[in-house]
Amino acid sequence: MTSYDTAVIGGGLLGCATAWHLARAGNRVLLVEKDQVNRHASGQNAGSLHFQLEFRMVEHGDDAARAAARALPLHLDAMRAWATVEDELGERCGVSRTGGLMLAETPAEIAVLDRKAALEREYGLDVAVLSGPELRRFAPYLADTVLAAGHVPGEGKANPRLVTPALARAAGRYGAVLRTGCRVTGLHRRGRHWELRTGTGPGDTAGETHLADTVVLAGGVWTAELAAMADVRLPVFPVGLTMSATARSRPFLPHLIQHVGRRLSMKQTEDGNVLIGGGWPAKLVSRAGQVDLETNPELRYESLVGNADAARVVPAVFDLPVIRTWTGMTTLTPDHLPLLGAVPRRPGLFVATGGSAFTLGLTYARLLARMVVTGETDRSIEDYSPSRFGALNFV
Amino acid sequence: MSAPDVVVVGAGPAGLAAAATLGRHGAAVTVVDEQEQPGGQIYRQPPAGFTPPAGSSPAGRALLAEATAAPGVRWLADTTVWGVLGTRAGLDGYAGDQPPPGRYRVATHGPVGVRLLEPRAVLLTAGAYDLPVPFPGWTLPGVLTAGGVQTFVKAQGLLPGGRFVLAGGHPLLLVVAAQLVRAGARVVEVALIQRRRDLLPGPAGLAAAAGAGGKIAEGVDALRVLRRAGVPVRFGTVVRRAAGDPDLTTVTLAEVGPTGLPVSGTDRDVPCDVLALGYGFVPSVELARQAGCAVTWDSPAGGWVVRHDEWLRTSVPQIAVAGELTGVAGAEQAEVEGRLAALGVLRDLGLLDEHRAVTLARPVRRELRRRRRFVTQVLDRFAPDRAALGSLVTDDTVLCRCEEVRAGDVRRALRANPHLGTANAVKLVTRAGMGLCQGRSCQPGLCQLISTLTGRGPEQVGAFTAQAPVKPVPLRALAVGDEPPAAD
Amino acid sequence: MDRPEPVTIEVDGRTVPAHPGESLATALLAAGERAVGTTRGGARRAPYCNMGICFECVVTVDDVPCQRSCLIRVRADMRVRTAVPR
Repeated sequence: MTSYDTAVIGGGLLGCATAWHLARAGNRVLLVEKDQVNRHASGQNAGSLHFQLEFRMVEHGDDAARAAARALPLHLDAMRAWATVEDELGERCGVSRTGGLMLAETPAEIAVLDRKAALEREYGLDVAVLSGPELRRFAPYLADTVLAAGHVPGEGKANPRLVTPALARAAGRYGAVLRTGCRVTGLHRRGRHWELRTGTGPGDTAGETHLADTVVLAGGVWTAELAAMADVRLPVFPVGLTMSATARSRPFLPHLIQHVGRRLSMKQTEDGNVLIGGGWPAKLVSRAGQVDLETNPELRYESLVGNADAARVVPAVFDLPVIRTWTGMTTLTPDHLPLLGAVPRRPGLFVATGGSAFTLGLTYARLLARMVVTGETDRSIEDYSPSRFGALNFV
Repeated sequence: MSAPDVVVVGAGPAGLAAAATLGRHGAAVTVVDEQEQPGGQIYRQPPAGFTPPAGSSPAGRALLAEATAAPGVRWLADTTVWGVLGTRAGLDGYAGDQPPPGRYRVATHGPVGVRLLEPRAVLLTAGAYDLPVPFPGWTLPGVLTAGGVQTFVKAQGLLPGGRFVLAGGHPLLLVVAAQLVRAGARVVEVALIQRRRDLLPGPAGLAAAAGAGGKIAEGVDALRVLRRAGVPVRFGTVVRRAAGDPDLTTVTLAEVGPTGLPVSGTDRDVPCDVLALGYGFVPSVELARQAGCAVTWDSPAGGWVVRHDEWLRTSVPQIAVAGELTGVAGAEQAEVEGRLAALGVLRDLGLLDEHRAVTLARPVRRELRRRRRFVTQVLDRFAPDRAALGSLVTDDTVLCRCEEVRAGDVRRALRANPHLGTANAVKLVTRAGMGLCQGRSCQPGLCQLISTLTGRGPEQVGAFTAQAPVKPVPLRALAVGDEPPAAD
Repeated sequence: MDRPEPVTIEVDGRTVPAHPGESLATALLAAGERAVGTTRGGARRAPYCNMGICFECVVTVDDVPCQRSCLIRVRADMRVRTAVPR
């Protein structure tokens, strides 16, 4: 049995970044990943760095948008984190902050865009609404149907292929122990420690046991399953999403493109492929009546068509073939706010998850690590605390 | 949207035989194929309006005639099946139109755009493609697969060069070399990696060969043509390098030792402008894997093959397979499997009752058993030695032709990320497999290299996730979707 | 092999004879185009599998990129661009 200061469960961006921060602060860290580092949502998402409120946050009216806007302080923090991460890691991760546009094609959408921008400015986000010749000059590739766009200069993209492996290597350099192909099968409080059992799956008696003072759940869609091992219920829900990639093309799309009135997120990678996503659902596969988290969601024809159709706002994309689609899962909470912080009544157990965990992952990781090491954070994260769902646990 | 009883994917021997059998027993069949005309790669016909020289009797003519005369068969040519959707149970709260229960969506793209077929059963007969074997220079213009050369010569009437070397480890090389000679080409050498003594059949092989006179006669005939033309056929010889600037001018051949590795000091440079490679075939299982059909690793049978039961049904209800997808075994066996799978589908659809299906299947099964005995012998003798072939790769060798990822890139990536060890993970860090061909050209070589470098077996290294579209589809066609243009 | 009478197609601005119905890859090779493709890194590429698998032979046909020349059939007056980086 080995003991660690902290065990991080999950080898995605969040887990690797948390392990990196903790190891750098001198913690003895164990990171366990049931598959391969970056195998799931961190490597499968399209790498958007989006700091404006998303379509899903503004489609249900102003009150819902105002509620979702409570995460904007984290967006601003994340914008700073992505600006410096390549320097801190000492290697390139494809971070490009050339700006993002949230498009509007109807007067009603422009009105939503204006109200959204006003709300975002209350939180200090630098957003301008461009239209007419100014917009055409800025983004000549847009279709004529686009009337206006919310512009945030710090938006852009990072390369999901590169970020998480770089974080994993950095964590390793500071002494974090990385175990892949290693599934957590038990998580129990034993005295002052957490006892972590790992193996190939339930019933694996040949597995190992590790002790840790603190445990960070960074398991994405597996968060609820992991929390349940610690006898806690967390209301997080898997959502299946669809993304498409075109063949490579010459660079013509320097910005992150989103749409205020429908599902769309589009960008051109540094390799030249155009990636299209933005919340088109994929079918969660079930087994014995339960969502099967081990199986990739199934592609829906309607989502692929919708995904392709949404790309109309950039006509040049239309000439390209789609060479790949893929589906993945992300995690949502009932109120669309992140779940971030200490788990009540489970001393030493921390969690972070919720939508936008690629964009916000570096920030979650920094705040969690700080909490683990010092017991506090440099900004209030009360709004995101798991304690808001304490009633679910009847304790 | 159309709703045939059965969609058959691929119009090669298995698909043709299946379509004929299905049609004859009253099923409404749609056969989808990427080529202009049925026949697949093996029975490929010249383009419409082209007449082959008199006296040439194209193989597969009887089967083609049988299939095209069968009632109830609709042919969708020039059409790609890019996905079989809706095969999994799950949370599907989408508000769109859904196919009726028990039907899948076979998504196609062809001259009319994107169309969905919603059959009651799907039969995958997608065939196989040449096993790509990376080695230095294999991306040079002038280096082709033997099948590719054969298509130029037989179907298009074009000699794709002046001086040909054929190299690899498959008997097809002899057949193609003989075809080249007959077409007037200058064949400089045929190099087979197997040593002659390893090819001599044992008693079991001789017994099995008794049931495969045609195949053996074809090989013997090819050898006679080559001998008469003075073409050297060298055994125990491997191509280690292709060179030329800007196009192929030389290949380096070397002797193979008992370990399967080239013997140092035996290199010979042979001038040529076409190198035709034939190391065997890879079953086209992408669509089956995308649909969720379970696969098994079977190296002599070509790699990943689709698991099936005695009616050639896969692990996914209503999806059956036939031909090379069950393991590469050639056109004749594919044809027999096509008939058997069709009987199984007819039985499942209630178009044949149990007794009749079993009765009709009996002679087909007998024929299949006879052929399998022979094929197993051949497979054992000609199975690629993947580790030995993997040793031809140098750090500079391109593995992924599309994204130009070299073996050295993979080596470095694995060194930098020692916790990685699957095809998917290496794809993600290196971009190998992310190009237009969707990994078909690099997956075998890449997986072999990962195995070599990490000590993990093929099952552990796995394969790239197969996602729709399994072949590229224009974004414009997808955006329009399955909506026929409004009539004027 | 008896072929239909040749038509002309345009290849990179050059007029080239080709038989209607034959594969574009065949016509290009017959016209002396040994390499039709170019990688992003500038390497020359030519048909490798000649059966729609490898995508090494892709060209732009009538402004539509990434068309496999081994599967596309020659039509009179088609405009072909080779060596488009991909």
